[in-house]
Amino acid sequence: MEELFSFLETEGADAALLDGVREFRAKYPPAEEQKGRVPAPEYFYYGKKTWELALAALLSGKNLLLAGPKATGKNVLAENLAALFARPMWNVSFHINTDAAYLVGTDTYDGRAVVFRPGPIWLCAAQGGFGVLDEINMAKNEALAVLHAALDFRRSLDVPGYDRLDLRPETRFIATMNYGYAGTRDLNEALTSRFVVLDMPVIAEENLQKLISRRYPAIRVKIRDQLVKLYAELERKAESAEISDSALDLRGLLDAIALMERGLSSGDALDMCVVNKSFDSYERGLIRDVIAARIPADLRRADVFEA
Amino acid sequence: MIKKRVSDSARRARNIIWNAAGRYDFDPPFLAYFPNGAPDDYFDMVIGLTDKWLELPRIWDFFARYGRDHRAEEFDEFLWLGIENCVFEKELAERPVLARLRRERAERFYRMNQALSRQQMEMQSMPVYTQHEARWAEVLGRRALLLPREKRMAEALRFPGTLDTDGVLAAMEAFLREFFRYVPGDADREPEKPGALARLLLRHEHRRHDRLLVRAGTGEGDHPRAVHQRHWGMGRSVGPTEEDTAYVRAVFGPCLLTGKELRALENELCIGNDEGCRLWLAGRGGAAEDCADRDAAEVRRSAARQRERNEAFLREHAAQAQGSVRRLSTRIDTILSSYLRRMPEPARAGRVRPEAAYRLPVLNDARVFLRGGEEVESELCVDLLLDASQSRMNVQEILSTEAYIIAKSLEKVRIPVRVCAFRSLRCHTVLEVLKDWKEKGCEGVLRYFAGGWNRDALALEAIGRLDGGAAARDKKRILLVLTDASPNDSTPFAASDTLLPQEYEGAAAVKAAEDAVRGLRAEGLRVGAVFHGSTAHLESVHQIYGHAYVRIQKAAQLAQGVSDLLLMLLRETRTD
Repeated sequence: MEELFSFLETEGADAALLDGVREFRAKYPPAEEQKGRVPAPEYFYYGKKTWELALAALLSGKNLLLAGPKATGKNVLAENLAALFARPMWNVSFHINTDAAYLVGTDTYDGRAVVFRPGPIWLCAAQGGFGVLDEINMAKNEALAVLHAALDFRRSLDVPGYDRLDLRPETRFIATMNYGYAGTRDLNEALTSRFVVLDMPVIAEENLQKLISRRYPAIRVKIRDQLVKLYAELERKAESAEISDSALDLRGLLDAIALMERGLSSGDALDMCVVNKSFDSYERGLIRDVIAARIPADLRRADVFEA
Repeated sequence: MIKKRVSDSARRARNIIWNAAGRYDFDPPFLAYFPNGAPDDYFDMVIGLTDKWLELPRIWDFFARYGRDHRAEEFDEFLWLGIENCVFEKELAERPVLARLRRERAERFYRMNQALSRQQMEMQSMPVYTQHEARWAEVLGRRALLLPREKRMAEALRFPGTLDTDGVLAAMEAFLREFFRYVPGDADREPEKPGALARLLLRHEHRRHDRLLVRAGTGEGDHPRAVHQRHWGMGRSVGPTEEDTAYVRAVFGPCLLTGKELRALENELCIGNDEGCRLWLAGRGGAAEDCADRDAAEVRRSAARQRERNEAFLREHAAQAQGSVRRLSTRIDTILSSYLRRMPEPARAGRVRPEAAYRLPVLNDARVFLRGGEEVESELCVDLLLDASQSRMNVQEILSTEAYIIAKSLEKVRIPVRVCAFRSLRCHTVLEVLKDWKEKGCEGVLRYFAGGWNRDALALEAIGRLDGGAAARDKKRILLVLTDASPNDSTPFAASDTLLPQEYEGAAAVKAAEDAVRGLRAEGLRVGAVFHGSTAHLESVHQIYGHAYVRIQKAAQLAQGVSDLLLMLLRETRTD
């Protein structure tokens, strides 16, 4: 992950923090069998300040809660952090039916006896991994109570009827939450107090430009800038409740560029990756209007990318 | 063609304007359309860019200065051509696609003109047509045949992109002066509003007749029509007469409660502030032909016409309504699944069921564990209460559609829902059941019409006392009120220590509604409001409903707003 280090150095991230990460890596190198779980991120997270805040928190042994609206790069940052610290990652997607058994483990019958089958949190704690608790506020607070002891100073998991497990010192939990989705809820104070909370900013135009250029170095600057402005305009429209935020999808925008690179026209690519994310025909019309005011529908690969 | 305020496709046109302006907090004074009613996206963008680069209110003031001249529309068309050139030059560097959109607009101009009939051509203003042709020919690199004066006009309308607002205003004024010898005057002054005394008199006059106003105009709320009805008088000592009750019966049909039930309810609720008031629970009113009272028959006819308008409005906006139902029901479904308990089901892993453990060694059945299943307990029912007072008159179609969307969404996720409208007149507070718990389909909601006053406190207490019915038994009840949070009634407060009767309005009426909501909550009913009123009443809605309200300013916010509100109320039920 030297590439990630050099990326952060180019971005001007605090050198002391990066040295801290290097020390951490030297102290806790991943075991050979864990290496397959250390992520190799496709995208880098842009935002020097956010990086520094996150690194400081994790180096201090804290768990991190990344909170923010859709498309702010919460999962990208979580994955980048696990990669930078070179720790195996367990990604646990929370949903409305998440319960303690799903997280920590459950009883099962192995043909001879009822035994404990460990869940992802248990495995992460036992192997000193980075546990990404994705959309943590989708779950009921009572289901999360089982994590309290793991997340606070006790750093342990106690499963009734089975053993107590002390977390390895390099274990960290990074939770993500979105305020706006249906079914989400506020985390209770008991749980929130066990995290340091990082409010994720919406990606700045300048950073989105860098992100696109890094991923698609051959893209024409003029087109890239129009795509960035298009994204900002969709964001404003969603903020004003004229459209839902279904079309406000950074992944969708990047996917559209990928399809253009494959030879699809700009209109088709943006239709598939941005417009059609909305299932409301009227809303799709509004989104198309915004796109038409920035990007002609018939751009081909040669118009979008340098030869 | 740039028009002042037309309604078709307005949302799309506004969106294009807001997007180009980069802000959404203003109501565009102009919207641009093609003759077929479709938004003229290029000129809508020009309007938005005018706001971005120039001071739109000042430009708008200039347009208003000649608004009464018979050539106003012609002037509009000329001057927008000038502004178009100016903002095009300003924006081009920032938005290169604009050159292409401008070319497409020019091509569309020629295509449209080829399709026009001779009569349509003759109806156009030739000078305007010529200037449009001059502009679009230039954009496409064609040659337009122009007389010397027309050529000078075309040049004068090429406002350069270097102009600021003052420059554009000066150019607009110079254009009108040079080519039409017209100097715009002052903006039309709005007629003065009546003074406080006049308002008091008007109110008094209105009170004297206490009319049930039912709109019978164009659907735009421009011709409110009064249906006469005699009022029982101003004095608080006088209660409703038999004649008043007969009138209410004639308009709304018989009361759904038996005489005994009604008396018991009135004895309980029509005390204190509401002493002397009466209640009425109405179902379907019936046809006008079946009504002997001429005034009441006229109200029934108007209500039937309003129903047709509500139905037509829903038909016109069917796609949007269906989209809203889909979004809202999905959100409610998700919220419910996260808040309602899942029924446990046997599984091969999960929590051991000790009482079934013998099955493992004896029957070799590993399904001795329990895990959360797919089925959830349904434990909710929703009462939807609509303010049907006269103040809602200009938004009847919108309100009925929104109520329909909410009811339909709840029905879709199998939550029992009842919809009632409330209004007060002639000392009676009438709750009209538009859709009952057991009724299938939500079309009854479209019978909603506005007219009368709103004595919120009494209506809230009454709905709280009404039986939830078999469908709602053993369930937690949620009451959603669609309101403008501005209670008022022609029947004053009964319990007043003052010499003159205390009017049922303002802070006192809000306080009464607040007390009613507090009472309902104390009894375990969860009450929330969907607020449609003006900013002036925001404080009132907050006072009455606390934090349990959402403000809806446009239909697009409905799904998000109502689901947020339900979520908030469900959290409260969860902590019970």
